[in-house]
This record gives sequence, structure tokens and C-alpha cells, in this order.
Amino acid sequence: MSGADAVRTEALSKRYRRDTALRAVSLRVPETAIYVLAGANGAGKSTVMKVLMNLERADEGTAEVLGMDSVRCGPQARAQMGYVPEDARHPYGWMSSSQLLAHIAAYHRSWDVSYADRLRRTFELRLDRKVGTLSKGEARRLQLILALAHRPAVLLLDEPTDGLDPVVRSRTLAVLAEHLADGPTSVLVATHQIHEFETLADYVGILRDGSLIAQLSRDELPNVVGRYRVEVPEGWTATRELRSAGVRGNPVREAEWTLVGHRGDLIDRLTVTGALVHSVRPVSFDDAVVALIAHQVTP
Amino acid sequence: MMPATTGLTPRLRHVLAAQLRATGAALRGPAVVAGVSFALLTVLVLIERADNSARVIAFHPEHQVLPGLLGLLLPFGVWRGEAPFGRGVLWTLPVDRRTHALAKVFAGWAWLMALVTLLVCWLLALVVASDGQVLAEEVRRIAPTAATARSGSLGPDAAAFVHTSAQPLLWLVPFTASTGTYLFASALALGTRRPLAWVSGVVGGTLLLVTLAEAANADDLLRQIDGGLKALFYGRYGVDTLLTARTESLQGSATLSNGDTVVVWSALPDLTQWAVATAIWIAAGLASLWAAAFRHREARPSSRWSARFLAGKDAVGRQSQQGIRLNGRKVEQ
Amino acid sequence: MLPIALDPSDLRPLYLQIMDELRRCLATGALQAGDPVPSVRELAAHLVVNPRTVLQAYQELERAGVLYVKRGQGTFIAPSALVDRQILAQDVAQRAVLDARRHGLTTAELVRAIQRTTADEDDEPLVSALGKRQGVRK
Repeated sequence: MSGADAVRTEALSKRYRRDTALRAVSLRVPETAIYVLAGANGAGKSTVMKVLMNLERADEGTAEVLGMDSVRCGPQARAQMGYVPEDARHPYGWMSSSQLLAHIAAYHRSWDVSYADRLRRTFELRLDRKVGTLSKGEARRLQLILALAHRPAVLLLDEPTDGLDPVVRSRTLAVLAEHLADGPTSVLVATHQIHEFETLADYVGILRDGSLIAQLSRDELPNVVGRYRVEVPEGWTATRELRSAGVRGNPVREAEWTLVGHRGDLIDRLTVTGALVHSVRPVSFDDAVVALIAHQVTP
Repeated sequence: MMPATTGLTPRLRHVLAAQLRATGAALRGPAVVAGVSFALLTVLVLIERADNSARVIAFHPEHQVLPGLLGLLLPFGVWRGEAPFGRGVLWTLPVDRRTHALAKVFAGWAWLMALVTLLVCWLLALVVASDGQVLAEEVRRIAPTAATARSGSLGPDAAAFVHTSAQPLLWLVPFTASTGTYLFASALALGTRRPLAWVSGVVGGTLLLVTLAEAANADDLLRQIDGGLKALFYGRYGVDTLLTARTESLQGSATLSNGDTVVVWSALPDLTQWAVATAIWIAAGLASLWAAAFRHREARPSSRWSARFLAGKDAVGRQSQQGIRLNGRKVEQ
Repeated sequence: MLPIALDPSDLRPLYLQIMDELRRCLATGALQAGDPVPSVRELAAHLVVNPRTVLQAYQELERAGVLYVKRGQGTFIAPSALVDRQILAQDVAQRAVLDARRHGLTTAELVRAIQRTTADEDDEPLVSALGKRQGVRK
């Protein structure tokens, strides 16, 4: 993998009046990687994307897309991005779908008309209806076409499968995988449906209250999250650090927990308190991400 | 920061063309409604003419307030669906935001000129249909003062009669009037979060001021407000000059001593005055528009530079993707 | 489309899983020497994985001599591709041992259980043996 980053933010901070939406977020999406951005609602996932699109201005820090500053080279950066916003409804409700596609197509020299048509057929979208009359699922699909048809180098997807029924969801993911195969594309996707992107994801980042508390590649996950089977002596209680790592309850003899932290570190901590670690097994991508989102931040 | 690949952003002429199409599509709905109303109006006028074909209609497009009103209302249609301060489409596209906004305003203006042309042609058609003469000489009654004109004390031959030839230059008034109002309304739509709030605020504020002044019997203040408003609207370079070259305020009807009601002018429209007023208003409109577009500019250099200064180049180098970061600290392998 | 699927409970790197699946197809005869394998695009869409992962798997298999690329025509099973059955068996055994350990069984207990399971079978490949078994049950 080359050292170039498709998306790179450096100590990005954004405040809304009294709320801090982003705190010194330094996010990296390597080229041609698929980066899943996870976190609770309001953690700041949408804000990161809006800053990259220069729809919101950061108070501090920088944001770059393909080496271009998102503010100073805004138009050039946006020419290389396909954006699916969180809100499925498109503002131009009074336009017909075909008019809207033609309108956006005029702005992108790399718009592939046959590809747009193929996507429309795959998504079974009729073009004669007004955008405002589309259902949430149809509107989402239209937005996906708008984002994919000009084959941008970077895709910013904010909850792309939100509002789609199960059949369309899997079709969307297959379309995405095919799209990636057609040309080098980097993807930053914010989603709650972690399991959907389980097989696609290369990197994962966790946002909590505006801070990027974890950012790692998929292969590094087993080093940081594991299923620990532990045997404990009588009257054993967990230390505060172990509870932050994910130890729950008051185990009697045997217990199994999903713990977050460096493996050697955790084994040491457990052993020091008298527990015996039987095994540490890897955890599914979905469970690992959930554990990362939920674990307490060690002071 | 050199862009990685230049030449991927659309050419300005394509942006303008796209905006022309999009604005046209946005205005189609209201235009159809307006078109139907106009058709009805035409029918009514023609019926009225058929019944009472005495008066000949002269071609005076400058007398109409409608173009000015059209310019004021059009931005509502032009900016339909866009929210310059919220979720819109313009800013997501690969065009400099300021340029894009101005392109949209320009596209709307082009449609405005087309609509005003249609309006003027319609008037022309009415005139021709009523056997009027477009370039006829007219006779106007000039009264010595406005006060006298309204008193009803004039005899049939009391006022001075002036023959005025047609002033074709004044046919430009609908175009300049609508341009002027359009510029201000566009600046409002683009530059403020709640344009209607601003309008009602200014109007409401003035009314409040007047009511308070009346209640407090502040006669001087009232006189000043009254004078100011009169100057703004009916003054030499006021709103009426822009909208109708003052033909609206300069003419009035008076009842003659023999019972007839005639049109009386307090003065003839002054072309130079109109040209100067139009220039001032349009310049002011352009300035407001520029300020509104300025609000949406892409880069704010000052905050960018200070952030880089404070952060320092080192901070950029220290972070790295390699390895795992957890809770802001690196987790060693 | 080949019967290739990813096991969601398999937590190894995806490219390894894909390599194993292709080897499995070779072992069961679904793919034979000289057959074309799905294009990177096709397989990526089918499995919903990053095409880079599929590419990585294909590159590793090419290095191992299982696949070869014919320029302009696609990727094929090498005519001389031999599935090292020993390696395949080793992988299966490793997974079984791990699973046994999870359940608290010793390796010896596992071996005895395997012997009991296959007691009345010949040296047939396990796949068809299981198939026969299910047929009998029904």
C-alpha cells in the first residue's frame, strides 16, 4: 500500500455554539481503502463528511482529500468526491429524476451515462417521477446513482443503506463492490449497520463525542479486542482498569468477556489480580466494533 | 496546496447553461400559473375594449409596476429548493461557491429579462389591437403645482398643454426596474438566513416607530420619518424613479370644474434623472449582491493560517496511520 | 457462479478465506485444471468484499502455482495445479483441534471421536461420505 491518503484530517475541530462536534479528529483513509466510521448518533460522523465537502467550516485543523485542501481547493476536491448525505430527501423535490440526473451530470466531466443507466435498472428506479414524490428508499437509491455515476475517486457515504429494504440493501452492497472493482476508489462510510460492511471494510474508526478514540485496520482488530475466557479465584473482584476494558459482573469461577486493550497488557492485568487466562479468541468484526464503541475511555 | 488534478471542474459556460436549465425548470410551475392568469386578463381586457372602444391605449411600458414586482418575486422561484445556509445542492457541486451563487442569480436574471420582454410584447399587442399608435405624439396636461391639480378648481383649459413626443428610451424602464428589484431580492435570498424575517422586520419596525411617534406626539420625528419615506419612495432618485421613471407619482387625476376627470401631470418625466437614479439603484443592488455572495466564499484565509501557525508543522508529522491508536495513545504491537 | 461463500464466523483474514474456498472448489472438483475462475470484479461483487482483497487472494494463489493469468483473457486454474491435500487436511485438522479445545476436549478425545465417526466408512473423501449419511438418514 502506497503512503498516499485518500482522505486525511489533522486535528480537526468544530464547535456549534456550546456543543463540540469534533475534537482534534485525525482521520486517515488510505487510497483504495474502505473505511468504516462507527459511533453513536451525534458522535460527529456526519460532521466529518460535511467538513470534507466544505459544507461546514472547521474551527481548527485541516481536512484534505487526495492531497487537496477541502477549503482552498474545494471545487477540485468535490469534483473527485461522491457524497451521499444523511438525509435521504433531495432538496430539488420539484425536479423529475431524469432532470436531476441530467443536471448533476452537466457538472461532472467523468459522468458515465451508460453506467448511470445500468445503475438505474439495477435499482429499479423510474425516472419520470418528481424527486419530491419518491419514497425514502427510492430517494436513497437516486442519491447513490448521483454519487456513483461520475466514478469519483473518493466516496463519502453517510448511512447509505438507511431506509432501504433488505433486498435492496444487499443489492446496494453488491453494486458498491462492483463499483470498487471498476476502478480505484476510496470509501469513507459512516454507518450503524456494521455487520453489513463486515466483509467490505479494511479500516475502522470509532468516533465518540467528537473524538476519534480508535482507528485501526481490520487485521489489527484481533490485537485490540478479544474474547477472554478466564478462571477466577473465590471473591475475585475486577480493578477499575479491567472494568473499563469490559469486565462485567461478579464472576463466580469462570467467566468470558469481550475486552478491549492490548492483549499482553490485559493478560498481565488479569494475572496480577489472580485470575487465570484460559484462552483469548478473536471476535467478529461487528462485535469488535461494538465493543470498541462501548468500552470506557481509560483515563 | 496544489490540486492533484486540475481540469476536472466544469467550465463556467457549462455551469451557466446548467443553471439556466435548472432555473427554467424551477420557474416553469409558477410561470404556467402566471401565464394562465395573463391569458384570462387578456380576455377581460379585450372584452372591455369591445364594449367600450373609445379610448386609444398608448404604449407606455414604463407606467407598469409589474416588472418591478416580478423582479422582487422571482428569486423565490430561482432559489426554490436551495437553502444557502442549510441543506442545498449548489455547495455540494464542484464549483466555487461564490461563482456558483452568482451564476444562479445571473441565470434567473436572464429568465427575468425574457419574461419582461414577453410582458412588454403583450402590452404592445394590446396597443396594436386597440388601434393605438406606438410612437404617437401625446398631449399632456401640466398643472402648475400638484396641489392645484387635485383641488378640482381647474377649468377645462386652465392647465398648460404640452405636446410630448414618444420617449422610446423609457421603454427600457421595465427592464431596468425589474433588474434593480431583482438584484436586491436576490441579495436578500442569498445573503440572509431568513429573508422574509428581514423584510417584515424592517417594515414592522418602521410601523412601530411611526405608531410610537404618533402616540408620543413627536411631531418633529413624524415629519422627519414622513419626509424620509417620501424621499425614498417618491423623491428624485427614489424607488418610483427606478420603477416607473416617476411616471407613477408625477401623474394624478383631477376633477375639472365641468365634472370631467382627467389625467394631470405635475411635471414631465426627466430622462436624466431616471438614468442617474437607475444607475445608483442598480449599483447599490450589485453591491448588496456582492456582499451576499461574499458570505458564502469558500476559504477564510485568516483562520486557516492562524490554525497552521499554532499547530506547527511538527504536529502534522507526528501522527501516523501505522499501528493502532486507542484512546488517543498508541497501542504497541 | 461457483459455490464460494464466506463463513461469517471465520475470523481469519478475508484473503486467506477466499484462497481456501478456491482450493476447496479444486478439491471437490467444482473447478478443474484449465477452468476459468471468476473475474476479480465478479467475485468481489458476489462476496461483497473489497476487490483488493480478491486481488490479493488471486495473487497469492498465482504465486503458489494454483492460478495463472492469460493476458486479455482472464485468470485460470493452472493445468498443473495440484491441491496439496496434505495442506488442506492440515487446515481442516487445525480448525477441528481449536474447536475441540474450545469445548474443553483433549486432542486424544477428538481423535477417538473422529475414528468412531468414520468407523463404518471406507477411505472415501469425507464430503461424499457425509452426503451418503444424510441420504441414509432421510
